[in-house]
Amino acid sequence: MRSHRRPRLLAPLLLVPLLAGCFASGGDDSASGGKDGDGARLRVGLAFPPAENLSPYGADATLLSRLGVTEGLTALDANGSAAPALAESWRRDGDKTWEFTLRDATFQDGGEVTPAAVAESLRHATDAEPAPAALAGVELDAEAGGDRAVRITTAEPDPVLPLRLSSPSLAILSEGAYGKSDRVDPVGHATGPFELTEVNGATSASLDRFDDYWGGRAQASGIDARFIADGTARTNALRTGELDIAEAVPVAQAASLDKKTRRDTATTRTTSLLLNASAGPFEDAGLRAAARGALDTSVFAEDVYEGYADPAAGVYGPAVTWAEGKRTAPVGRAAAKKAGGATVNLATYDNRPELPEVAQVVKQQLEKAGFTVKLTVREYSRLEGDALAGKFDAFVLARNTLLDTGDPVAVLAGDYTCDGGFNIAQLCDKGVDRAVAEAEKIADTAKRQDAAMAAEARVLGSDAVLPLVHQRVITGVADSVQGMILDPYERTLVGTGTRR
Amino acid sequence: MRQRVATLAWRVVLAAGLVCGVGLLPWLTRTDPAYTVLKARSAEREPTPEVLAGIRRQLGLDGGPLHSLTGWLGGLLRGDAGQSWISGGDVLPDVLQALGASLLLMGAALLVAVLTAGLICLRTLRLGARRRLGGRRAGGGVSAVLASLPEFLVASVLATVVGVQLGWLPALGWYGPQWTVLPALALGLPAGAVLGRLLDDLLPGAFGEPWALAAAARGLTGRSIARQAVRRCVPALLPNLGLFVVGLTGGAVAVEQVFDIPGLGRTTLQAALAQDLPVLQAGTLALVLLAALATGATRVAARLLTGPALRDGALSSLHRPAPPAGGLLPLLYGLVLLAVAGLGLTRDPLALDTGQRLRAPSLDHPFGTDALGRDLLARVGHGALDTLLLAAAISAAALLVGVLLGLVPRVSAPLVDTVNAVPPVLVALLVTAVAGSGAATPALAVGAVAWTPLAAHTSALLLQERATLHITATKGLGAGRVHLLRYELLPAVLPPVLRHALLRLPGVALALASLGFLGLGAQPPSPEWGLLLAENQPYAERAPWAVLAPAAVLALLGALAVSAAGALRRRSPGRHPGTTGAGKSGAGERRPVARAEREPAGVR
Repeated sequence: MRSHRRPRLLAPLLLVPLLAGCFASGGDDSASGGKDGDGARLRVGLAFPPAENLSPYGADATLLSRLGVTEGLTALDANGSAAPALAESWRRDGDKTWEFTLRDATFQDGGEVTPAAVAESLRHATDAEPAPAALAGVELDAEAGGDRAVRITTAEPDPVLPLRLSSPSLAILSEGAYGKSDRVDPVGHATGPFELTEVNGATSASLDRFDDYWGGRAQASGIDARFIADGTARTNALRTGELDIAEAVPVAQAASLDKKTRRDTATTRTTSLLLNASAGPFEDAGLRAAARGALDTSVFAEDVYEGYADPAAGVYGPAVTWAEGKRTAPVGRAAAKKAGGATVNLATYDNRPELPEVAQVVKQQLEKAGFTVKLTVREYSRLEGDALAGKFDAFVLARNTLLDTGDPVAVLAGDYTCDGGFNIAQLCDKGVDRAVAEAEKIADTAKRQDAAMAAEARVLGSDAVLPLVHQRVITGVADSVQGMILDPYERTLVGTGTRR
Repeated sequence: MRQRVATLAWRVVLAAGLVCGVGLLPWLTRTDPAYTVLKARSAEREPTPEVLAGIRRQLGLDGGPLHSLTGWLGGLLRGDAGQSWISGGDVLPDVLQALGASLLLMGAALLVAVLTAGLICLRTLRLGARRRLGGRRAGGGVSAVLASLPEFLVASVLATVVGVQLGWLPALGWYGPQWTVLPALALGLPAGAVLGRLLDDLLPGAFGEPWALAAAARGLTGRSIARQAVRRCVPALLPNLGLFVVGLTGGAVAVEQVFDIPGLGRTTLQAALAQDLPVLQAGTLALVLLAALATGATRVAARLLTGPALRDGALSSLHRPAPPAGGLLPLLYGLVLLAVAGLGLTRDPLALDTGQRLRAPSLDHPFGTDALGRDLLARVGHGALDTLLLAAAISAAALLVGVLLGLVPRVSAPLVDTVNAVPPVLVALLVTAVAGSGAATPALAVGAVAWTPLAAHTSALLLQERATLHITATKGLGAGRVHLLRYELLPAVLPPVLRHALLRLPGVALALASLGFLGLGAQPPSPEWGLLLAENQPYAERAPWAVLAPAAVLALLGALAVSAAGALRRRSPGRHPGTTGAGKSGAGERRPVARAEREPAGVR
């Protein structure tokens, strides 16, 4: 009897080879190379897995640009103006045409970056469906304009075209990236310092250094990127030494990292309380003013964000470096009325863990001032539709103020004008509309910024938006890593100088 | 044979209905799939009409729901499950890979669960083998506490303590055998505790059966008697084991998140939220198939274990002997719970003081404060009433439905499998589609699933009970079906199922809270217990008390439920009906056995 049993017990062992297929591929630490100086691979933990097979036209574009895979014709510099990238220089030629002069660069598949290839790549972007966000409402035509020049013509005058082209979704890819199907494949077809070699679905990706990069060879020999959606899990991976860089450490986890390991940068993201200006209690400007008076914004940055945020100054925070010097006082504020028990439907989403906490503090502060507040918290995609339809009286929103184009006016036009596509505050104010339209026409960077600040003063004057904090992003960086790029626009993370 | 065909047909109808229901989800919930797909691809993108129209064209949504559904089904016949609406990648390889990871995780978790269940029953088995069960007091506090621990809490504690601080095992990823240990523990411990309690509940009855006495008298070793007792009791649990197999495969979202495992739970959750129908349909179909397989396997196993006895009606009733009365435990648990609630009620659960955030327990704040500086004792106390009332109401309804449907296994068994195989978030979405997002919806969504293990348990017990000698005898004396049910079957089946329902009460409270992100159920700043656990989980490492307080009261509730069920058990034999002749004969046949059980020590 016993002798019969033994082979039966061993039988499951036959399944062992099958099990190997049930584990995720990647994570092979032996491939990470020698740890001594040049040649070590970087292990990076990213928060957002590829959503669309790394299509450059959606949110994955940011991911590609953060890992140093793709580049556009231009980039954003620290002051938020367009800086040279694949284009060395540019000039405006008439109202609707811009001419970009290309630098000597090669694609990762060996081809040269020619004007024809650039024009073709941009044409694919304009044909994409749905169109990339940076091109929303813009008609654009690109053609080779000589040996090293690309001429881009727009249907309407576009003073911010160089800024627009810095968008990661307008990255330049070689002809090989565009197959017969709709799918665009950036693997091995981009121009950045790192080249994608392998993508394991939404789990991990491997990158190798691109030796012929125009900006010089990168110091790290490659990158092993892992996509870890859970913030605590990402932080844990950094703490156990499985990662060198962990993106977007949640505020609640920051304290578990060493002081040296956590680096924080101001971002262009502002958390604000939006008040519905066309229905409900906050239709009354006096009650909006009362709500503004009720808020004590000092506690948000200090306590809820544990210091990883700056107290709100306006729509644009300290990451928009020029804003502070040009800010003017809000225009046309109404006098505050008594709240008198008005009922307020407050809503926010839990995809960012701090927002429900912010909303609960807001709730208490408003209640102290005499409002009655009902709070709704849902997942973002289950909430946004109702918010845009104006079903809530107040909404706590974290919003990137430089959007896809890097143009400061775009967020004002989208969020606070009558025709704005993202007008959760339901604001429709002639003064604001006029000021925004004024700013949209200006091409000169400095003057455009001045006009944007004048429009901001109008928007703040309406009290439809009450900025609470300007967020800082915490990046976990292991001690051994040097040359990290902490980008306020969250478009780059790893560069040629990053190494461990 | 005809019955089998009918059951199979019913099973196919249910599966088809489910897949079609999933296919029609956007139209049932009146949520535009183009919109949810856009948000899944890029949350910050403005949903302008042009963008939405572009996505609709891209996905071929213009033809309406039937067009998409028939297209998908047609492709399925050719072995093509379509392309994901979000990523555009092929669905089948992705879903199969996720299924592989989930099955492996489930297998490891099942191993842990079986070991846990074994440990829990160890004491009963030892005592039973030595025939010393007579005087023992009902224990089970530890297993009840373990059963009421939320998976996500166990997972994050294991990841932080074992994975990060001690560094014994990898805390993250899914790359090889050592990565499976912690997730398997997190899933397997609570599941094993439930199974162990259920088994432990049945074992004394088996040890009390005449054969055990005879075997002991004949000189068989305690070990082999114990083995036979387990063999006697396991068939009643097999259906529940099957439910765990499927539930752990498709519903391990929290554990998959904490340990970053690319499993089916996360895949279907994301697909359900984004209404990525091809992925959701494929994932659901895979789970339904797995459920059918698991049911088949448990049937075969049950037949192997007790087949001949079932066929010949040669079993006896698994009634455990009455343990001695007494045991102040339920009273003690109840008093502690009451005291916490009472003390908490005198404080303000909503008063924020961000300057006092995450303070350790002190005289001012006996349970400490949470991330917004609110007093945790107050929150736990104020949450008690809401949590308990709602969870108790849902459990009672689930018990009623579970027992009723469990009585007609041919109808309910396929229904149980199918409902259990559906990922919880999908159930919630489907319930919302039917019932709207009213106040009762979260209760309905949780209740829609909560009855399934109880129905499975009822059916399994009923099957065994029907094969007992006393039923044959009662039938022989001319008792009708209603009489049999009322006086013989139900009194035998109800007590264990009731104890099972009580064991799952804390789980119901947690399930309610897990629907919050859909906008269902309690919303912050409500101090509902599940919500308390969820909102304090990110701070578990820095402020352990913030999760410990709600977890402890939940565990206390579990212990209370189980020990109170022990008290119920004590009363039930005395209530045995004896109004009619047939009833008397049934009882009369059982009594001597029970009496024999009570004096086992004297036999040797």
